[in-house]
Amino acid sequence: MAATETKDRLHGTLDALVLKTLSWGPRHGYAIARWLEDTTRNAIQVEEGSLYPALYRMERKGWIEAEWGMSELGRKAKFYKLTQRGRQQLKAESAEWAEFARAVSTVLAPSS
Amino acid sequence: MPRLGRGRRQLGSPLWKASVEHEVDAEFEFHVEMRTREYIARGMDPESARAAAVARFGDIGRVNAECRGIGNQREREMVTTEYLAELAHDVRFAVRQLIKTPAFTLVAVFTLALGVGATTAIFSAVESVVLRPFPYRDAGELVFTFTHWTFGNGGVSVGDYAEWQRRSRSFAQLGAFEFKGVTIATDGSPDRVTAAYATANVFPMYGVKPELGRVFTADEDQPGRDGIVVLSDGFWRRNFASSPAIVGRAMTVNGRPVTVVGVMPATFDPTDSHEDLWAPIAFTPKQLAFHDEHYLTVVGRLEPGVAIGSAQREMDVVAKQLAAEFPETNKVSGISIKGYAETVIGDYRARLFVLLGAVLCVLLIACGNVANLLLARGAARSKELAIRTAIGAGRGRIVRQLLTESLVLALAATVVGLGLAWLGIHILIGAAPASIPRLTGTRLDAVVVLFALALAVFSAVVFGLMPALRAARGDLQSALRGGGRSAAASARDRVRAALVISEVSIALTLLVGAGLLIRSAIFLNHVNPGFDARGLLSTRVALRAPSDSATSGTDAEQTFTRLVNELRGRPGVEGVAATSAAPLGSGGGSNGLVPEGKEQSIANAIDSRLRMVTPGYISMMRIPILRGRDINERDRRGSLRVMVVSEALAKAAWPNQDPIGKRISCCEGGPEDPRWKTVIGVAADVHTGGPTQEIRPEFYIPMAQAPDDAWRWINRTMTLVVRAKSGDATSLTPTVRAAVRSIDPTLPVYSIATMSDRLSQSLAESRFHLELLVVLGGVGLLLAAAGIYSVIAYFVTLRRNEIGVRMALGATTMDVVRLMTWQGLRPVFWGALLGVITSVWATRLLRGSLYGVTANDPATFVVVTLMLIIVSLAAILVPARRVASVDPTTALHS
Repeated sequence: MAATETKDRLHGTLDALVLKTLSWGPRHGYAIARWLEDTTRNAIQVEEGSLYPALYRMERKGWIEAEWGMSELGRKAKFYKLTQRGRQQLKAESAEWAEFARAVSTVLAPSS
Repeated sequence: MPRLGRGRRQLGSPLWKASVEHEVDAEFEFHVEMRTREYIARGMDPESARAAAVARFGDIGRVNAECRGIGNQREREMVTTEYLAELAHDVRFAVRQLIKTPAFTLVAVFTLALGVGATTAIFSAVESVVLRPFPYRDAGELVFTFTHWTFGNGGVSVGDYAEWQRRSRSFAQLGAFEFKGVTIATDGSPDRVTAAYATANVFPMYGVKPELGRVFTADEDQPGRDGIVVLSDGFWRRNFASSPAIVGRAMTVNGRPVTVVGVMPATFDPTDSHEDLWAPIAFTPKQLAFHDEHYLTVVGRLEPGVAIGSAQREMDVVAKQLAAEFPETNKVSGISIKGYAETVIGDYRARLFVLLGAVLCVLLIACGNVANLLLARGAARSKELAIRTAIGAGRGRIVRQLLTESLVLALAATVVGLGLAWLGIHILIGAAPASIPRLTGTRLDAVVVLFALALAVFSAVVFGLMPALRAARGDLQSALRGGGRSAAASARDRVRAALVISEVSIALTLLVGAGLLIRSAIFLNHVNPGFDARGLLSTRVALRAPSDSATSGTDAEQTFTRLVNELRGRPGVEGVAATSAAPLGSGGGSNGLVPEGKEQSIANAIDSRLRMVTPGYISMMRIPILRGRDINERDRRGSLRVMVVSEALAKAAWPNQDPIGKRISCCEGGPEDPRWKTVIGVAADVHTGGPTQEIRPEFYIPMAQAPDDAWRWINRTMTLVVRAKSGDATSLTPTVRAAVRSIDPTLPVYSIATMSDRLSQSLAESRFHLELLVVLGGVGLLLAAAGIYSVIAYFVTLRRNEIGVRMALGATTMDVVRLMTWQGLRPVFWGALLGVITSVWATRLLRGSLYGVTANDPATFVVVTLMLIIVSLAAILVPARRVASVDPTTALHS
């Protein structure tokens, strides 16, 4: 039970991080990873093995939408965009987890 | 249908799958590439940068698979959601469309509801009688086991039953029943009920537990310890008002005190004989060694895994052994095993499926009419559909939407149809003869409702698909320009003609079936029963078990003689006689008779029905005496043993000879009953089982000369037959009751009815079958006529202009009417031809229900075809005449 809960929290945490990242605008997967790494000065290294499944899961849930577009280097890339539902989800999770972990709060704190 | 196929491929979409996988690959490749660039920017050489990027990604294959899985799942969900949304939209749209045209909707729903309701009602009967499993443990293992004779299967002797049980390995259990009318007394007046004397193993064999108390044990199935009974649920309800205190109560059966030990549940009816109680059969050792007198009904349970065929092979061997060991009784008989359901349901299975087929035909005609309505509607809506196509709706999408509309229509019809079915079931059960097994269990249960829903889908496709495809194919340009007058009109004509052809052919098949049954009914009603039923009343009278077996025969004989004499003196009675079995009534058994001069062996025996009669019985019944004389007062004990034989027996025993004076051996023989009987008369054959039954040999012997054994064979029960002077048989009922009471007030009088009622009762089943098919044929004809009418009316409206041109060019009204009629009749002729061909094949299914007419009776075919053409002509002429009288200028201008 406890293990599942922890895993859920971790999932949830990653979800919240990604949603927060996307709240600044559409980004492709690599950009999301890089943005998280840069923002936390590599304190958080997002593993691709967790990031992509999280993206696909959230797309399935309707929190984010994907669209193929041109990347800054002229390559075709899949861009993710926050949906209305994703925005609500982000709000709910932020509130819920604000008191759960300081590390999360640090990341979620407006930093731009 | 190719259109629908294409639509489905798009929905089923192998393309989507490729796209999800492709997307994941491309996305990951992009990621690795970006990471590689990042590493190169940090100063790594391209090769090791790429390697590091890949390494950093981790197990790319696993992640890829996970993402593909989630992605595919999402695609599927999206397709479903989209589909459901479209469906919801289609349903809403369909309902709006149907409400917009209430006349169309009402006609279509009612037409379909009629078809669906009737089909559902008949199906519910099929379900109850044929399909529903029997309420017994592993009912598939239960079988009936008969003694087999050349003339068919029959009851089993106690000795044979005992030997079968001892020798066979195929059976886990083998149980026996003997059915007997018994007189019971609880308190007050005597009552006559059916008892089943049974072996103790039948209850565990069926796997049914009593609902109250217990059943009897093998210990109690012994002479002397058998003073107990188990009641049926119905008997318990009727006679003891379902009193829970019944267990342990005393009652008398045939004057003998017995104790009630239990009550069986209502579902327990082991041989479909509707008996009222069960008592131990308690064979005596003497009975167990006796291989004559075949009165047992034997039911067995096969060992698990043993097939009927292999059990039959084993019993064939047993039959051979018994024939060798007991040649006198077993030489010419075999053993026959029949499945339980097959035996109980019998040919009702075939009959009910024929009815189901007939009612499905009605449903098909109804579907044809609705398809026709939809075609007209599709033509009227071609503009709407063309616009929808123009704004991007695919054809598959339009077909789906139109089919949804049909489905909504069919579902509405099914709701109404279930109501009609409920009504139909009640009428069916009320009107059906009680002899159809398990029919009273007919009800609207989950299976039936599911069937009705399946019917709805089926009919929606049958009537909706073709109009939908046709409407969706509609040519966009011409539809938009012509405003509904489509260029495909001639193709539509062909479709409509095809509809008329199918409807006519189906209706004709139904009507031929009904016509054949009508001819059978006419034949059966004219069958001479062999006696004069007018003013005749018959009733059964049963004597108590004898107190002294030595004088039991004479006692019984005297009682019945006194009864007959008592009645003869009563006012209103023209004639009276007693017989062990009257036509169309219960009672009786048969004996194997061997004419003198042939070897006295069972192989030469002619199985003939026994009638023990009082003097003058044959004349009183007005059965013609063909030769010789009737039995009279002088044929008594001690005088020459005499017999009157039926014509069939005379022919079988002495072909082409005068049987008068010939001798024939009958019955056991014994010191007081010599074997040889002298034939003194030949009586005309009687339809003992009713007009539908075959005639079998019968013989009459004077009651006064009957051996004591014979009273046991007939269970000391005789039938009194009384003819009323007034011709009104019912008026004699009180007279008969009073006369019996005056002789002995404790004698039960039961099964009292007039012979005319019994005759009509004996035809109840075939009449019921006839009525159902006539109703179905009539409904089919009406629906087909309505279909033809609407097709012609539509043609005529469509061709107003053409008609106007013709008339402007000088055609007379008659010319136009003739033209329309001819064009309308053409598909009718084709339909009739097709129908005749179908009927030749289909009426074979009715063969078992036909009497006095062949399945391909030309007269029926001709009459029915003519009738159908005349009705069609009427359906054509009404709309054809209406438009021919239209003013040509108006027609041209419209």
